[in-house]
Amino acid sequence: MSSAILEVRDVVRTFGGLRAVDEASFHVDEGSITALIGPNGAGKSTLFNVISGFLSAERGTVQFEGRRIDRAPAHRIAQRGLVRTFQVPRALTRMSVLDNVLLAATRHPGERLNGLVLHPGRVRSRERKANERAAELLALFRLDTHAREYAGVLSGGQRKLLDFARVLMAEPRLVLLDEPMAGVNPALGRQLVEHVLRLRTETGMTFLFVEHDLDIVMEASDRVIVMNEGRVIASGTPAEVRGDQRVVDAYLGTARTT
Amino acid sequence: MSTIASFGFWSFVGIVAGIYTLFALGVQVQFGYAGLLNFGQVAFMGIGAYTMAILVVKEDLNMWLAAGCGIVLAILAGLLLGLPTLRLRADYFAITTIAFSEILRYVATNEDRLTGGSQGTINLAGIGQASQYDGAWQSFLGKVERNLHVGSDAAMLILVWTVALLAVAAVTLLMRTPWGRVLKSIREDEDAAASLGKNVFLYKLQALALGAALGALAGVFYAWQFSFFSPDDFAPLITFFAWMIVILGGLGRAWTVPVGALVFGVIFAGTRFFDFPPFSLLDSTERAYVRLIVIGLVIIGLMLFRPQGIFGSRKEMVLE
Repeated sequence: MSSAILEVRDVVRTFGGLRAVDEASFHVDEGSITALIGPNGAGKSTLFNVISGFLSAERGTVQFEGRRIDRAPAHRIAQRGLVRTFQVPRALTRMSVLDNVLLAATRHPGERLNGLVLHPGRVRSRERKANERAAELLALFRLDTHAREYAGVLSGGQRKLLDFARVLMAEPRLVLLDEPMAGVNPALGRQLVEHVLRLRTETGMTFLFVEHDLDIVMEASDRVIVMNEGRVIASGTPAEVRGDQRVVDAYLGTARTT
Repeated sequence: MSTIASFGFWSFVGIVAGIYTLFALGVQVQFGYAGLLNFGQVAFMGIGAYTMAILVVKEDLNMWLAAGCGIVLAILAGLLLGLPTLRLRADYFAITTIAFSEILRYVATNEDRLTGGSQGTINLAGIGQASQYDGAWQSFLGKVERNLHVGSDAAMLILVWTVALLAVAAVTLLMRTPWGRVLKSIREDEDAAASLGKNVFLYKLQALALGAALGALAGVFYAWQFSFFSPDDFAPLITFFAWMIVILGGLGRAWTVPVGALVFGVIFAGTRFFDFPPFSLLDSTERAYVRLIVIGLVIIGLMLFRPQGIFGSRKEMVLE
């Protein structure tokens, strides 16, 4: 029996007169791979931004592992183990590929000035561990040969991988992936899916992802949540959702009856 | 001996370049590493200089302690400035910083009972009572002169540059730590930094405060070098000198700052030797403005042909 790691309840977010997210409610089971789909403008990205703390919700609550996070700032949410990616990967271009990954190290005493001065030993040992982990991740994503180069020289696909390596470095329990397949060639997309599936099996990591490629959604996810016009209109297994008339209507429009 | 060959003149250029190294190093920390557009750096220099002078003259405080108070007060002012403004978008933040420095300058000009007003620190103890705040410094300088067997200009040069280079080394080391890594990530993309659990606001605040401390340190050296100063010494133009130095040297590297400061100092002082036509048509006051034009042209030329500065990396500039 799996329990909900993320619980979104009646979240509302408007932009001017537009209700981008309109009383959306859903949950994500721990250890699941859950897809969030819907036509353009359905409110998926806005909802992602609300969950990850980059936008505030006007109403409603978001609970992560039983604690409310809807008032917490983005960095605090990430520290708690809910880490997101962006639609366009945010490579820190004028830093080395290695530094991009090292940056994501958690609870690093060397990131505080008092830690640097008072506990130089602890800083060194944390940094050594971080370097080991970063080397593993870079090797896993075949970026190790570029470790010392500026992240800005990486190709779009490599940046996507770097983004992913960075997220894993942050030791998340729930990963939010914003269109992981967008702008990625099919071979690389395949690779990303396999990483996700393997991580879920090996570490029990939970994934929530927004994706437009429905083949990937049907193949990789355990549950699918469908949004339209700011609301959650359906959820269930990929098979259930595929047969749901409301979903078909949302994507294709309803037949006009005159 | 002509000015161009005199040690006194060039050591003066060197001393000022050393002071500007400290001053511009603050901008390098804030902008070069953390991406903060601080156009009010001169305010921190003023706070350092004025706090020291006022505490020595009016409160009879030990000068070294007073200098320390100046630096601490600049840090507090940096925090006070940053708390409400660092959440603003970069351009709005930039505007508030320049307003901050101008507000302080106007306060210093008009609060003459506190600061000596527009006449400067000469009136600190009241009009007609010439006051002095740097006695302790002069006697310290005298000791250095005797121990090293050098003149007062050389002693000052050695002291300023020792402190400046130590500060450059300290900043270089600091930026290699995980703390510096977070700072650079904020310069690159603060949303990415936040998404990885970094408290962007807190780091910006620290960068601003560290830059403020360096500005105040430059301020106390400025006060010691000139023995007397007024609010007009802290006009916004001085902040832009720091920016020129940082751009001249190259962004994101602490060690380029002393080089930028020296090049800037030589260009700035060098224009005084433009005694050939057409410059010889101008009188000396007018010629003083020529250097500003020259500096401006150098910056334009740099932006066109070497936007990365003297030592910056072209490769870094073209990364997206």
